[in-house]
Amino acid sequence: MVTMAIAKQTLEDMLRRKILLILLIVAVGMIALGPSVGFLSPRESSVVLKSLGLAVILIAGLLITILAGIQVIPTEIERRTIYTVLSKPVQRFEFVLGKFLGGLATVFVMIAAMGIVFLGVIYWQQHNLPREMVTGVAMTFFQMMLLGAMAIFFSTFATPVVNFFLTFAIFMVGNMSSVTESLTSNKNPATKLLATVLHYILPNFGNFNIQNKLIHPEQTLSNPSVFIFQNIVYAIIYSAILLLLAILVFDRREV
Amino acid sequence: MAAAVSIQGLTKKYLDVWNKAEIVAVDHLNLEVQEGEIFGFLGRNGAGKTTTIKMLLGLIFPTEGAATVLGKPLGDIEAKSQVSYLPEEAYFYETMTGWDILDFYARLFRISEPDRSRRVQKALEDVYLDPKAWRRPLRGYSKGMRQRIGIAQALINDPKLLFLDEPTSGLDPIARAELRDVIGNVGKQGKTVFLSSHQLSDVELLCDRVSIIHNGKLLALGRITDLTAGEQVEIHAEGITNGAVDKIRGLVPEVLQTDGRLRIPAAEPGKVASVIDLVRGAKGTVTAIIPHRRSLEDVFVQTVRKAGGDVSVADLKGGEE
Repeated sequence: MVTMAIAKQTLEDMLRRKILLILLIVAVGMIALGPSVGFLSPRESSVVLKSLGLAVILIAGLLITILAGIQVIPTEIERRTIYTVLSKPVQRFEFVLGKFLGGLATVFVMIAAMGIVFLGVIYWQQHNLPREMVTGVAMTFFQMMLLGAMAIFFSTFATPVVNFFLTFAIFMVGNMSSVTESLTSNKNPATKLLATVLHYILPNFGNFNIQNKLIHPEQTLSNPSVFIFQNIVYAIIYSAILLLLAILVFDRREV
Repeated sequence: MAAAVSIQGLTKKYLDVWNKAEIVAVDHLNLEVQEGEIFGFLGRNGAGKTTTIKMLLGLIFPTEGAATVLGKPLGDIEAKSQVSYLPEEAYFYETMTGWDILDFYARLFRISEPDRSRRVQKALEDVYLDPKAWRRPLRGYSKGMRQRIGIAQALINDPKLLFLDEPTSGLDPIARAELRDVIGNVGKQGKTVFLSSHQLSDVELLCDRVSIIHNGKLLALGRITDLTAGEQVEIHAEGITNGAVDKIRGLVPEVLQTDGRLRIPAAEPGKVASVIDLVRGAKGTVTAIIPHRRSLEDVFVQTVRKAGGDVSVADLKGGEE
C-alpha cells in the first residue's frame, strides 16, 4: 500500500512536469509528421517511417527516463518533502521502490502515448499493424526500465548533474557492446582489462536495439520470441540488482 | 508517567571536508519529555534543535548516544506510526489539493477507506481550513493555509507524540493565534507535543516545561514557572546627586540616568530597600516602584548570553536554522 501510494504520487507529479510534457509533445509531433518525411525517399517511405518513429521514441524515451530518473529522489530532498514522508512509518526500501515504480509508470505512459501515435500513423499509411513495430516499442520500454533503475541507483548518492552524465555515458557505452566485446581480445593489457570490465559489468543496451532487424525483413532473428524474452528477463534482473544496491545505499543516507 | 522521548548523551558530529574540521551540532544531550506534556525546545538559530528532531525521527543518524521515542529505539516503524512531524518551513507537493495530500499521507499510515476519508475531513476541520480550499491545489494556498495543511498532516494518524518545528513562524498574528489554539487543543487531548520555536510568547502560553540548548548543549531545563521565578523591580527616582548615583551603581550596576531621573532596572528584591535608603539619604525622591515578572525571553537571553552566546533579534523572531 505504501509503495503504491508513493508510486501513484510520483506518477501524478511527473506527469505535471512541463519539461517532460514538452518532450512528449515534440516527439509525438515528429512521429505524426513522419509520413511527410517519407516523400523524400518514395521507394523506401515505409522504412523511413518506421526508422524515424522508433528512433524518435528511443531518443524521447531516453531523455524522459534520464530526466525523470535523476530528479525523482533528489527533488524530494531538495524540496524537503522527504521529511514528511520518511518521518512516517515508511521503510526506506518502500520509498525507493515507490519512486522507481512511479518513474517507470511515467516512462510507460509517455512511451505508450508515442507508441499509439506511431502505430496509428503506420496503420493510416499501410492499412495494417505490423506486430514487429509493437515489439520494437515494447523493447524500448524495457531498455528504459533498465536505464531508469540505473539513474535511480546513482541518484541515491550523486548530484543530478553528475547523475545525468553518468547515466548518459553508461547508456552510450552499453550500446556499443559489440565494440567493447571486440576490445576484450586487444593485445594491450590495460585496454583489454578496461574493455572486459565495461563489457561484463555495464548493462548491454545494444541487445535491445532490434530496430534494424524489425524494419528490414531480410535481417531475420533466428528465434525472435526467445531473444525478446531473454532481453526482458535480463532487463528485469539487472534492474532488480540496481534497485537492491540503491536501497542499500539509501538506507544509510542522511536526509 | 512514562517518558515519550528519552535522550541519553545524543551527539551529532559533521565533518567539514573543506576545513577538515569537526562540527559538533548536538553535544551529549540528555533530556526526557513526559507523556502528555507540551515541551518547549528552545535555542538560537543553529543551536541544534532541528538536528535533534531529525535524529529522533530517524532522518539522520547519531554519532554517539542513544534515544527512545515512545519507548522504542530510533527509526522504529511501530513508534513512527504513533508519531507525527511538522518540519520547519515545510514544503508539500504543490500540484496536489489539500484533500489529496492528506489522503496520500493517510495512505502512508496504512489507513484504509472509509476511515481514511473520515480522518482527512476531521483533520481539515480541526485546523479550520476553509472547505472551499479543500479541493484546490496547494500552489494557490497562502502561507497560513499551507501551515494548516502541515498541522493537519501531523494530526491525520491521531498521534501520541507530535514534533512541531517552528509551527507559527512567519504567520500573521491572527493565523498564529489560531494555530496556537490548535496546538493547545492537541495538548488538551493528552497528546505529547515536542515544540521547537523561536516564538517565545507562544511557548510561554503553551508549554509546561522548556529546555534551552546552545551550540548543541543543554543549558537549562525545567518548568516555565520555575525558570521565570524571581521578580525584578524597577525604581524610578529623581533629585539625587551624582555621588549618590555612583553609590547606587556600586550596588546595582545597571542604573540608567536620564534628565535627572534614575531608573534602576533588574534590581534583585533584596537590594530594593538598600537602593531606596541610598536615594533618601541623598535627599532624592522615589517616584515609582514597579515590580516586573521575568519573562521567558529574559530567561532565554540571559541563559544564552551567560554561555557566551550573542542573541540577535532574529533569534527571538524566528528564522532558518
